[in-house]
Amino acid sequence: MTTETRLPILDETRAQFLSHHVSILVASCNAACMPSVVRAYGCRVAPDRRAITVFLSVAQSTAVLRDLGAGGAIAVVFSRPTTHETLQLKGARASIAPLADGDRELTLAYGCSFGEEVASVGFGEPFQRAIMSGTGEEAVAVTFTPAAAFEQTPGPSAGQPLAVKS
Amino acid sequence: MIPTLSELRHCFEGAVPSVIATCAPDGTPNVAYLSQVHFVDAEHVALTFQFFNTTRKNILVNPRAVVQVVDPVSAAHYRLQLEYLRTETEGPLFESMKAKLAGIASHTGMSKVFRLQGSDVYRVLDIECVFGESSARDAPRQPLLHGLRACLAELVGCTDLATLFDSALQGLERHCGIRHAMLLVHDAARARLYTVASRGYPQSGVGSEIGIGEGIIGVAARERSPIRIGYAAQEYLYSRVVREGFEKSTAGDALETSIPFPGLADSGSQLAVPVSCGDRLHGVLYVESPQERRFTYEEEDALVVLAGQLSLSIELLAHTAEHHEETAVAAAPPCAVRGAAVAIKHFAADHSVFVDNDYLIKGVAGAIFWKLVRDHADAGRSEFSNRELRLDPTLKLPDITDNLEARLILLQRRLADRCTCIAIEKTGRGRFRLNVGRPLTLTDVPGR
Repeated sequence: MTTETRLPILDETRAQFLSHHVSILVASCNAACMPSVVRAYGCRVAPDRRAITVFLSVAQSTAVLRDLGAGGAIAVVFSRPTTHETLQLKGARASIAPLADGDRELTLAYGCSFGEEVASVGFGEPFQRAIMSGTGEEAVAVTFTPAAAFEQTPGPSAGQPLAVKS
Repeated sequence: MIPTLSELRHCFEGAVPSVIATCAPDGTPNVAYLSQVHFVDAEHVALTFQFFNTTRKNILVNPRAVVQVVDPVSAAHYRLQLEYLRTETEGPLFESMKAKLAGIASHTGMSKVFRLQGSDVYRVLDIECVFGESSARDAPRQPLLHGLRACLAELVGCTDLATLFDSALQGLERHCGIRHAMLLVHDAARARLYTVASRGYPQSGVGSEIGIGEGIIGVAARERSPIRIGYAAQEYLYSRVVREGFEKSTAGDALETSIPFPGLADSGSQLAVPVSCGDRLHGVLYVESPQERRFTYEEEDALVVLAGQLSLSIELLAHTAEHHEETAVAAAPPCAVRGAAVAIKHFAADHSVFVDNDYLIKGVAGAIFWKLVRDHADAGRSEFSNRELRLDPTLKLPDITDNLEARLILLQRRLADRCTCIAIEKTGRGRFRLNVGRPLTLTDVPGR
């Protein structure tokens, strides 16, 4: 058994940030470097913060799931509309699995939190419901190990790799 | 049903941020938020290039990208497959996006951070509906096309420029719900625009000026392109433009800022559309609203059509005025002249005119006014024609393309705003009367 000695790329605060009130977009690409993108409906962070799982609607993610399934790399951006705080994580590959116990509840809780966020930037209830309509669809769990993280909040440090706090 | 790119324009207004995914040559994807997606035409969009970030690096070596946009009403998601073509760093597209970005930057407190380096133009290869239905077709909107039709119908009957200008602004309010508007006419010799008509402001602001290239109006004029901003953009606001213009101006130009602009102090949305015919710029039609994101691509379309009709009408009226001047009607009895004398002082250097020490007008309109009051004092004349002004060598009017009629409107309205005892009254096509209610004392200060 090997022991991971490096610190996880995310600290506890950032791990918390990924799980609620943020817009989540997932990208991959195929062997010909054609990109694909889709919205995710929630995120689960492993207790050791070394594995990130995002939930995708199967119907909406044909291209992304095909690219990830073929071994394509993954990029996920998390952004909070009220603060513009934005973080992008990248991984060399991702695994696709059915939802685990508790994932559906995580998705629904995420949908509520993002709905609140959208409401606080001025969108009404029909829009909140519609933008999170994917939470009720057939979904899969996409898990990856973030190998790099980038600060993407608009500002002078946008695009900078995240400094790992010891 | 898959919508066309034109049908998705309402998703580009920035209410819900769009995202772009690109890919490095080694197969590493990147996903980032976009400040704006700009509709170029039915097959192209443009994205802002602000920083040399990963998206930028990727598209320069691998031109394929996918952008996801969201309908701000129905939350429908669409993916656009794109191919990067080129970057524009000047011209109408660049200036239009730069102004829009300034509004977004100001709105998000990023004025010092966001700066447009280029407009990246992409061909749209494919559009995919991810989920949801577009709200564009069935959302209850003000019927703008109907409003525009009504506006245009009212322009048809206008037989002079002043009525044309006023009808256009009145039509915008009555039929399109646009309550704050102004028309500025181009003074080509001085590379400036001067206000001849306004609606929805406490002060008319007629005679106020702005330089070509200054603020949203000046940029629209310079680029011959509509410019639309959905948020208050500090660097495009009048107050700022005028203040900076004042700081830059020499003492001799200080008069240009002495007539305050009528514009809203805290404009939330602005749209400036050039009024031009071929290469000839007649002026700029400008509308604004205290409400943010008040004007969409739909209003922009409507105002471009209205400006096109205005420009044709201006050409037609100028032609008619020159060739079909009405013969003189019998002179009306002069109005009673009584009361204390009014001191009119004319400075020949710039034809600036002061009435009882208050600034009235300068430039060509000032020279015309000085000729009128001189003829009135010397020969007792009250009836005048555009033709004689055109032929008068002392006025040194610019060539026939200069809009003399617009200068007379300016003069007429400045008098109405500033001077109760002198007025210009139109008496027929190409003819007018000078009504003087008090004795005049004329002083001419020769120029160098």
